[in-house]
Amino acid sequence: MTTVTPSLAGAEDAPKRSFRRRKVLGGRARTAMLLSYLILIGLALIYIYPFIISISASFKTDAEATQDALGLIPQTITFAAYERLFGDVPFPLWAGNTLLISTVVTVGRVFFDSLAGYALSRLRFRGRTAVFVAFIAILSVPGVVLLIPRFLILQQLGLYDTYGGMIIPLLSTAAGVFIMKQFFDSIPVSIEEAARIDGAGTFRMFWTIVLPMARPALVTLFILSFQGSWNELGHFIVSRQSPELNTLTTGVASLVSGQLGSGNQFPLQLAAAVLMTIPVAILFFIFQKRIMNTTEGGEKG
Amino acid sequence: MANTAAVRTRRGGGIRRGEARAGWLFVAPAVVITLVFLVIPIMLALWVSFSDWNGFQSPLNPRVNFVGLENYAAITVDSGLDQKNFGISVRNNLYYVLFVVPLQTIIALLLAVQVNRAVLRGRGYFRTAFYFPSVTSTVAIVIVFQFLFTASGAVNAVIGAFGIDGPDWFNDSTGVFHGLLSVVGITQPSGLLAEPGFLGISGWEWLAGPSVAMSSLIMLAIFTTSGTFMLLFLAALQSIGAEIDEAALMDGAGPARKFFSITIPMLRPTLFTVLTLGLIGSWQVFDQIYVLGGTSAGGTISTPAYLAYRSSFVDLEWGQGAAIAFILFIFIIVLTLLQRWALAERGPRRARKKAGLL
Amino acid sequence: MRTSQWSAVALAAGLVVTLAACAPAEEGGDVQTGQDLTILIGSSGEAETTAVQAAADAWATETGNTVEVIAASDLVQQLGQGFSGNNPPDLFYMPWDQFQTYAAQGFLEPYADDLANTADFLPALRDQFSYDGQFYCAPKDFSTLGLQINLDAWEAAGLTDADIPTDWDQLATVAAALTTPDQVGLSMGREYARVGVFMNQAGGTLVDGATAVADSAENAEALDYLQGLIADGSLKFPQELEAGWGGEAFGLGKAAMVIEGPWINGAMRNDFPDRKFISVELPAGPGGPSTFAFSNCWGMPVGSETRDATLDLIEFLTSDEQQLAFAEAFGVIPSTESGSAAYAAQFPENAAFVAGVASAVSPVAFSGAAAALADFNTQLEQIGSADPSALLNSLQVNLQAALDEANG
Repeated sequence: MTTVTPSLAGAEDAPKRSFRRRKVLGGRARTAMLLSYLILIGLALIYIYPFIISISASFKTDAEATQDALGLIPQTITFAAYERLFGDVPFPLWAGNTLLISTVVTVGRVFFDSLAGYALSRLRFRGRTAVFVAFIAILSVPGVVLLIPRFLILQQLGLYDTYGGMIIPLLSTAAGVFIMKQFFDSIPVSIEEAARIDGAGTFRMFWTIVLPMARPALVTLFILSFQGSWNELGHFIVSRQSPELNTLTTGVASLVSGQLGSGNQFPLQLAAAVLMTIPVAILFFIFQKRIMNTTEGGEKG
Repeated sequence: MANTAAVRTRRGGGIRRGEARAGWLFVAPAVVITLVFLVIPIMLALWVSFSDWNGFQSPLNPRVNFVGLENYAAITVDSGLDQKNFGISVRNNLYYVLFVVPLQTIIALLLAVQVNRAVLRGRGYFRTAFYFPSVTSTVAIVIVFQFLFTASGAVNAVIGAFGIDGPDWFNDSTGVFHGLLSVVGITQPSGLLAEPGFLGISGWEWLAGPSVAMSSLIMLAIFTTSGTFMLLFLAALQSIGAEIDEAALMDGAGPARKFFSITIPMLRPTLFTVLTLGLIGSWQVFDQIYVLGGTSAGGTISTPAYLAYRSSFVDLEWGQGAAIAFILFIFIIVLTLLQRWALAERGPRRARKKAGLL
Repeated sequence: MRTSQWSAVALAAGLVVTLAACAPAEEGGDVQTGQDLTILIGSSGEAETTAVQAAADAWATETGNTVEVIAASDLVQQLGQGFSGNNPPDLFYMPWDQFQTYAAQGFLEPYADDLANTADFLPALRDQFSYDGQFYCAPKDFSTLGLQINLDAWEAAGLTDADIPTDWDQLATVAAALTTPDQVGLSMGREYARVGVFMNQAGGTLVDGATAVADSAENAEALDYLQGLIADGSLKFPQELEAGWGGEAFGLGKAAMVIEGPWINGAMRNDFPDRKFISVELPAGPGGPSTFAFSNCWGMPVGSETRDATLDLIEFLTSDEQQLAFAEAFGVIPSTESGSAAYAAQFPENAAFVAGVASAVSPVAFSGAAAALADFNTQLEQIGSADPSALLNSLQVNLQAALDEANG
């Protein structure tokens, strides 16, 4: 999941090129195409079927889910798993925490990273190159080795087990700064020049003129940040311990490991997995074009 | 860009001081967050890796002692349980990398080539299907996989239809290579292979292969990452699409030859990126292992990233946990630097070549 | 050494067995009020969590405090993280296998001698929760292991009361008889806390003073015996039966017999109320009868700011009255002399667990042992195929290293 960043960043600057569809198909080409379809349909089934039977199993009884895992339609449809999620299990609390944290983190990240990216691209100040080089260096710090260090600093600062400790460290990422700087580097400065001559202050100019122009990059960063913080697990393991601060990821993970004696309970776990996936799925479908865009643009170009 | 910026500053001399202040103000939040929550913590953890802190109160309190390389030695050279656990986790992750990286690259490329067919209808749907697993959370995917791969689960039901008795995937600690060897009657090591070797692990154990449980995680990784890498390949394929067709036309090459002697060479830079990104990512696997509890399946799914966490937070061996994290840190940084170096080498040469051709 | 102390417990329990009366709960005079306390427990299931929460609420209402009970999904991890984050719970289950380590690291408040009821606890339990000669924390309760038999399966296999196994051979016979395509004869956790019982029954042990003796012939005999059961197909572990623990496999009818403690009563009543079963004493091995006695204590973090309120809560939770309420809810045996006596009288269906006290041994738990035993538990996953002596040799090496470190 860590690999999403480079893909989108990479997609951003991939060159666009058009090519023409071949109109006439020979017999051999037709067979090839048929084969291609068969392969693709087979593969697509492998990729999608697990999700479909998972949704189906979340409406089954515990026994049926275990015994008849492949069945598409539950013999007896039960909402027991969902009722438990909203009854015994504090699922709404987890969802609320995740929504709150993801929103704050996303807004903060988009704002702070575009501020820094803009400054590194356009504003002249002493130490700019050093700051930029430092961010480039930090890009390669692997996230997973930060678990212990992050815990230590939160403990030192008294932020451990607070919303602050869960949110603040995520408010800026070197990757975000980098994406924004690259973007600002690629757009012309002429409009800003005009505003500058009008005597607009730097921040006002940034806020009213530059940011609106940066919409494509902001959307990219928004998607990355929201999806990233919604699915974040490691940081929320080491930054909190109270059950009140459980997010969807940590809460649902605790359903898997399970308290002693609670057993497998596949429908319950699957229901939780389905529900926690819905928001990112919606985001994915809204911004699908944007996420996988480059190729589409090329085709139509 | 640097040039235009320079020109601009020379022109607008009056605002320069304000600009400098604004510049620092603009980068301040990002810089402060990075310093406080990334740079300083790493320093703190570095200290812990050289200390005997047991998790009680602050690691900076005066009762904590400097112990030199003791923690590093305990996991690498001193024979004992700590060394063995580390060695096993390295072996597990090594096999994970050896299988995940090539397989996810091949599958991503296969998906991209199929989806890219110009004549294909509904390519958008296919692309969505393959990419969707990449946007869902690891926790959700692990739940789905546990459900699929349970002893009486969907996977075993499918392979059962072919008369194969499937294993209890996530709980089976048998090494795949050991399993294959036992088919030909070899179940015990002999001679040198039985002796403790590198990191205290015997050659026989090093050769175990990924356990059945780890194999399920390998499939999980391929399932979730191939969509992402497919997009990278797609972007590259689209950008070189016309060139491929022209070259193939001139050669009169058939589809197979076209793929291997034209497409693959032209995709080489993307291929390299995908391989190295996969390599770096696969050494960081943590979430899946954590959700599964980490110690199940005879310790065969533990990885260094998970072991660092567990040593610290569960076993209260903070020094060792931090030491494992730093070894992993340095290893991944070296991989990243190698990648950047190779890309930098490759970039200009490729550009030159292209220029020469034109 | 431990065995003799547990025998004394049995004697005490037997002597006062007629005294079914409950001692009145200890009422502290002026207790701090307005405190928010947190209790972290490792629960055996819904029954236990509910009972602890109810008890805590009762105390909280009475004293004007609030108590939140958190059921950990991984108790040791959550405890460790709480301590390292300077944010430990006010009160927690201190597992028997971690107590020595935590005490040695200086994490625990040695409060037990300040309790009003400190003299009531069973001597063997006082000893188990003492470190460096000091009694640290109040034993919560204790449990021994017994053999649970599914009565329907028993009848279906044509077995009678006379067939209840009393030695290893009989156990193997009935386990085989009870094994059907849908049900395995015997199941139990694949861990030292179960397998170790068989080692002790074979006459083996893990540690003798400062020397590890895990690689003895007796221990190998125990593993050989278990391997025999596995080879016959009459022993399977809960993981292989797609169950979280032995009790679940038993409740689901996937195992006809399991080896669990009295907590199984609460779990069955709660999750599988239709399961008809009895608990009997574990069969004896070649070295005689033996079972494990487990106990957690109520741990308090060192330097706790809520010490007074927590002390009062602990006195409340360990009173005979409250312990018998826990006994009723999830089957554990009270940790006081009078309480355990009353228990034997009140719950005849659990007589086997009390009787087991006569041959009970505390599992090995010195500081540092937990890591060696955790590795052994991991190794046990291969018990079906591995060479027993290889398993025991690596346990031997690790235990000796841990002993040297603890004593060095």
